[in-house]
Amino acid sequence: MRMMRQCLGATAAIMLAACNLDLQNPNQPTEGQVTSSPDGVIALATGLQGRFAQSYGNYAYMAGLVTDEFASTTAALISISDAEQGSVPPGTGIAENVFNSIYRTVRTADDLLNGANALAGQFDAGTRSGLRALAFALKAESLGEALQSYQQIPINTFGQTAPTYVARAVALPVVRELLDSAEAEIAATPPSTFFNNNILTPGVNLPNVIHLLRARYARMANDDATALAAANAVGRTGPSALSLLTFPSPAVNFYANVTGGTNGVSPRRQWRLTMEAGDQRFTWFVVPSATATGRVGALLDLWNRYANPQSPLPVYFPDEALLIKAEALVNGGQIVPAQAVIDSVRTDCTGGRGIDDPKACLPPLAAGQTAATLLDEIYRQRRYELLGTGLRWEDARRRNHIFGPVAAPGVPNEGQRCWLPYALGDRNANSNVPPDPAESTSFPSGCTY
Amino acid sequence: MTLALVRRAAVFCALTIVSPLLLAAQQQATSTVSGHVTDASVGRGLPDVQVLITGTRIGAVTGPNGEFTLTGVPIGARSITVRRIGYEPVVRPVTVVLGSTATADVALRVSAVNLSEVVVTGTGIATEKRKVGTNIATVDSALISRAQATTVDQAMQGKIPGAQITQNSGSPGGGGISVRLRGVNSFISGSDPLYIIDGVIVNNESGQLADLGTRANPQNRLADLNPDDIEHIEVIRGAAAAALYGSRANNGVVQIFTKRGTSGKPRFTSTTRWGTSQLRAQQPFNFYPFDVNGLPITRFNYQDDIFHRAPSWEQNVTVEGGSDQTRYFMSGNFGNEDGIMRSTASRRTGARVNLQQQLSPTLVANVTSNYVTTNNQLQAFGEQNDYGIMGSLFFAPTNVDFRPINGVYPLPPALGTNPLLAIARIRNPQTIERFIGSTKLSWTPLSKFLVDYTIGIDNTGFEQRQFVPRNAVLGTAPLATGRSQSVFENNRVVNQDAVTSYDWGSLGSAEMRTTAGANYTSQRVRITQATANGLAPVGDLVSAGSVFSAAQTDVELRTLGFYGQHELSFGDKLFLSGGVRWDASSTFAPSERWQAFPKLSASYVLVDNRAGSLNNLRLRSALGWAGSQPGILNAYSQFITFTQLPFAGRPGFVNDVTFGNPNLRNERAREWELGADAGFLGGRVAAEATYYDRLVSDLLFFRPLPTSTGFSRQFYPIGTMSNKGLELLLKTTNVDAPNFQWTSTMTYAHNKNLVESLTIQDFQSAGGYPNRIRAGEPAGVFYGSYAARDCVTGALLTDSLGRYRRSNQTADMGATLAIREALSHGTCNDSLNAVIGDPNPKWTGSFLNEFTLGKKIHLRALLDGVFGNKIMNLSTRAQNAGIASNSKSYERELLPYGDPRKLPPGWNARTQGIFQYWIEDGTFVKLRELSASYTVDWPGVRRYFRDGVDLTLSGRNLAVWTNYSGYDPEINLFGTNAGGLQSVQTTAADRGFDFGGYPIPRVWQLSARVTF
Repeated sequence: MRMMRQCLGATAAIMLAACNLDLQNPNQPTEGQVTSSPDGVIALATGLQGRFAQSYGNYAYMAGLVTDEFASTTAALISISDAEQGSVPPGTGIAENVFNSIYRTVRTADDLLNGANALAGQFDAGTRSGLRALAFALKAESLGEALQSYQQIPINTFGQTAPTYVARAVALPVVRELLDSAEAEIAATPPSTFFNNNILTPGVNLPNVIHLLRARYARMANDDATALAAANAVGRTGPSALSLLTFPSPAVNFYANVTGGTNGVSPRRQWRLTMEAGDQRFTWFVVPSATATGRVGALLDLWNRYANPQSPLPVYFPDEALLIKAEALVNGGQIVPAQAVIDSVRTDCTGGRGIDDPKACLPPLAAGQTAATLLDEIYRQRRYELLGTGLRWEDARRRNHIFGPVAAPGVPNEGQRCWLPYALGDRNANSNVPPDPAESTSFPSGCTY
Repeated sequence: MTLALVRRAAVFCALTIVSPLLLAAQQQATSTVSGHVTDASVGRGLPDVQVLITGTRIGAVTGPNGEFTLTGVPIGARSITVRRIGYEPVVRPVTVVLGSTATADVALRVSAVNLSEVVVTGTGIATEKRKVGTNIATVDSALISRAQATTVDQAMQGKIPGAQITQNSGSPGGGGISVRLRGVNSFISGSDPLYIIDGVIVNNESGQLADLGTRANPQNRLADLNPDDIEHIEVIRGAAAAALYGSRANNGVVQIFTKRGTSGKPRFTSTTRWGTSQLRAQQPFNFYPFDVNGLPITRFNYQDDIFHRAPSWEQNVTVEGGSDQTRYFMSGNFGNEDGIMRSTASRRTGARVNLQQQLSPTLVANVTSNYVTTNNQLQAFGEQNDYGIMGSLFFAPTNVDFRPINGVYPLPPALGTNPLLAIARIRNPQTIERFIGSTKLSWTPLSKFLVDYTIGIDNTGFEQRQFVPRNAVLGTAPLATGRSQSVFENNRVVNQDAVTSYDWGSLGSAEMRTTAGANYTSQRVRITQATANGLAPVGDLVSAGSVFSAAQTDVELRTLGFYGQHELSFGDKLFLSGGVRWDASSTFAPSERWQAFPKLSASYVLVDNRAGSLNNLRLRSALGWAGSQPGILNAYSQFITFTQLPFAGRPGFVNDVTFGNPNLRNERAREWELGADAGFLGGRVAAEATYYDRLVSDLLFFRPLPTSTGFSRQFYPIGTMSNKGLELLLKTTNVDAPNFQWTSTMTYAHNKNLVESLTIQDFQSAGGYPNRIRAGEPAGVFYGSYAARDCVTGALLTDSLGRYRRSNQTADMGATLAIREALSHGTCNDSLNAVIGDPNPKWTGSFLNEFTLGKKIHLRALLDGVFGNKIMNLSTRAQNAGIASNSKSYERELLPYGDPRKLPPGWNARTQGIFQYWIEDGTFVKLRELSASYTVDWPGVRRYFRDGVDLTLSGRNLAVWTNYSGYDPEINLFGTNAGGLQSVQTTAADRGFDFGGYPIPRVWQLSARVTF
């Protein structure tokens, strides 16, 4: 018996020593491997920009459908032609994508912040500040896109098992604080050359993006002073005035990816036809068509430059800064300077400020404008200058221009609905998701926040 | 101190390996025992009988005519124990004298009940059945060889109560077969039991490396094993019996033993088979010679072009023999089988050497080695609708002339490809190169103490190529530009087993035995894939492409376990045993890794070989726990991982949206069973009955995570599920006259599956199909749209044209809920979906009859049935889709008004959305096997072949009695890919879908077997 026990013991000892049960996964890196090395954290920064491009695309796509910007092409899924008529039932894939992709971007931004902090000693100060500013800015814009699509949004999500939702009054200050942090970061320590050349997407100017976003959300908070200051800080000339997300092959520009196939959308022809005579901005966005119609009969134009899969996508259009500035000036009672700013957008023509953005080539406004006529003009300019950026939806919301769903082939007018239903992907696992907001039944209406 | 002990023990163990060499020098005097074992009633020699010198490991198995030789038997008064499945064992004294061969001829009597049969599965060490508290099914070589089946699992169909063995497809080379023992037990590990061949844990994956129908099941890897090599199979069906296999045994264990060879001069056996397969019955299609406008139109029956009568051929040669110290069995096998779908075929070439060498009186080595090459030429079916032939058949309107014009094959208008083009030009060759081998050392230093050590390896190299030429599918790039793919997989399983047992002998009225063992298994799967699109007009390798992509996967799973067992017996009547397995797998989180799986078993023999009407009666009961592990696909689910997201040409990482579970642990099944075995009327009637109750807890699946966290799901324990059932087996010897014998075997199994609880919302188990996991329902129930009925009368609600209305649909029933409820006379149609059917059978059963006329003619017929299950006929639904419009019911829409068979326009379009309409009764009874054998032993023949020539004419799948309207009620869209690589989500619960399946052929075979 002793012999047997010994033999058994030896066998057990040999077997235990021979087989290590703590295996590593060679197929995918673990959280620990990525967040504990500078290379991994830098790759996170690239992943964040990739996710941002995706979530921004999803948001702008959906906002375009439920306003008067986009309609489905013939091969599109029924949920897309429903959305263009203002109908978005809970669980609709394209609406879920908005929420899910935004919060994936937020998660990656949080991962990057944590990584940059944990490895603080391994990055030079400028690189660390660049990483942090990038994470703050893209998290802010993602949350901002969320609060322009949903009545309430979760703002604390990292490591939470059931994130709670808050109203815009709570969420918007959080977005602005994040942007202030981003600005403070680069003001204190400018991003290093290494960050700008090797981490930031080529073609993007981070300080300008941060200034523009600060102006955008200050405007949303009716903080005219900050909006004016931030808009003034946005560079207007030279290559740095245009920040572009680039898509070298085999990557594909978001809009090119959705030009054809089952998620295809195109700008409504109405967008071009309602332009002021002589406005040339349509040539930047679309190829005019007299025949293109959509899945449920909407009249369409065809995409112009976005149809090229490698075409870059602007992070923002530089003239948005001018239009925010003009709005702040009007609100401050400075009518004449405001009109001058608007005219600089209207008269932007070939050559212009030396950047490749939509050019109206219109004459300046007539004299004798009032605050009211200028505000109308600002909204009109925003509509044609900022197609496909998602901003149209918020403009409709803030002007109480929600005109309700319009059945095809009728043409919708500005916003068709206030909000998207909350994502089932969150609702199914999170008891803190509020009930879907009720949409108004009499129009035009505003939205409750 | 501990180290010193380990060192001392290691030295001792090393000595024990060397010591046989020393012992060999001082062998005691031995001699030889030989003899002949016959069937007492027929007088014919019995092959595959186990003959053992009682109390030792000296043994042999009889040859084809019942002869055996035992060598190395110590001289003196000994006894031999003679055992064979289906016969009563005999113990016969024999005196062994130095220098002369002792003779012992034994005649065995047929006995339907046999409690002395020895089993090893689940018991750690060879144990008589009477001592085991669970029911262990055994299938012997005769049953296997008479089935004339291509694969082992095919041969087991209808032989084991409680095993639902389903041939999911009719592909050549066996068709993908899934085995489900006592219902669905897991959603992640498939339904497959653990397969062990000669101590080697083998890979039975059924996933394909290229898209041959995403979840289709053309073949599972058990098909590489030649059924003619098998000596017997033991099947244990659940946790109570399988606790000693620990965290992999939840689905049961199937242990296969190959032939060992018999001592004596070399004996050659040659078996040749010629076969032919054909489609059992064509499906009806729309052959109405007018179109929707009433204009004449030509229609085609593509089935004539797709299916043909296919030949098969197989040659098997075995040689066995042995000397004093050595026994060997060698076999060579070559077979080719064409599929009934043109351009499909399977070819298997294999060789085996099994060797047993007595190294010393106390040490025996057993070596098995099996090398197989399987070559398949397959075509896609099932869900594959771009280039799959069955999908193309069901989705193409019947008015397309697919014949090539100027060498160009026309494509169908909407979906699928041209089946003639697929047959002529699309190629999916597979090459499987496989080695399975084991070495086992059995050491018996004392008659009461033994140690066995086994090391086994199963190494499968699997290459799948796919060639889809350019312009072979509808649509645009990339597939339309052609695709060439080459995927290599290496799947290697290595296991080591050590078991030791000590027999304490009698202690008063009790006897005791203690067994302890250890097991280590490592499985590694490596896959490399190269794909090219944009193919040149000539050339079908990847290098003919212009756009390339590649992928690589490397997965390893390790399992380590230790077990101990103690057995107590009282007066050869009451047997008690208890054991525990302590098990760890690399898949699970370190904190949860070590799990204990205990078991208890009791057996009480009330009546033992008594004369009279009740000859035997035994009561048994057992309780045990077992687990299951995620498969290769989810092997690393405990890790929180990142995934690549390159952007702007730079490498990037983002969090994987599947969140790792750092507390991952195994599923756990608790099972108890209670049963009785009885023999009546002098062994002419035997009955076995078993009731079992199993509860699986901590079922693993993906639970949804709030997407606001940036994640979407996590592998997590999500609920509990039970299986309760009854298994009956009845064997009768109806006639036992000298020149006529008639025996019958009946099996019945009833299983009730229930998802007891879920901690998440109910969910679709197979992505995209209405199988649902829902608390309070059996796993995999169909949950989908239904036709509205009047809530008061129950009559179907139809519209003004007589078409069905889908419940709660605006278009079908009215714009508001109030209108719909008024139409329904109630609220019974307010939901969009309901449970509309259950794919799980109410019961399964089989009925086998065997007749022996004289000594030369043997007839057998096996009926096998599945009862009370539902099938969703998506094939016919595809036929009714607008783009296909090729069904008989669509034909009725085309008939002129006034024809009584005329269906209103839009009838078929309406049924597309009502899934309930496609549910059919899946009950069937199949004439699974039918065979007639005749031994030609005319003197002229015997001059060349000592035992004559055995001729067998056999058929498989000859007739099916069913109300099911599709090709075959047995085929299933999904195989058992759950957890396999390269497969979309599928679970063991996903049954009952007929969607473009490869029909199971009717097979006739003629075989000739000679011995010389």
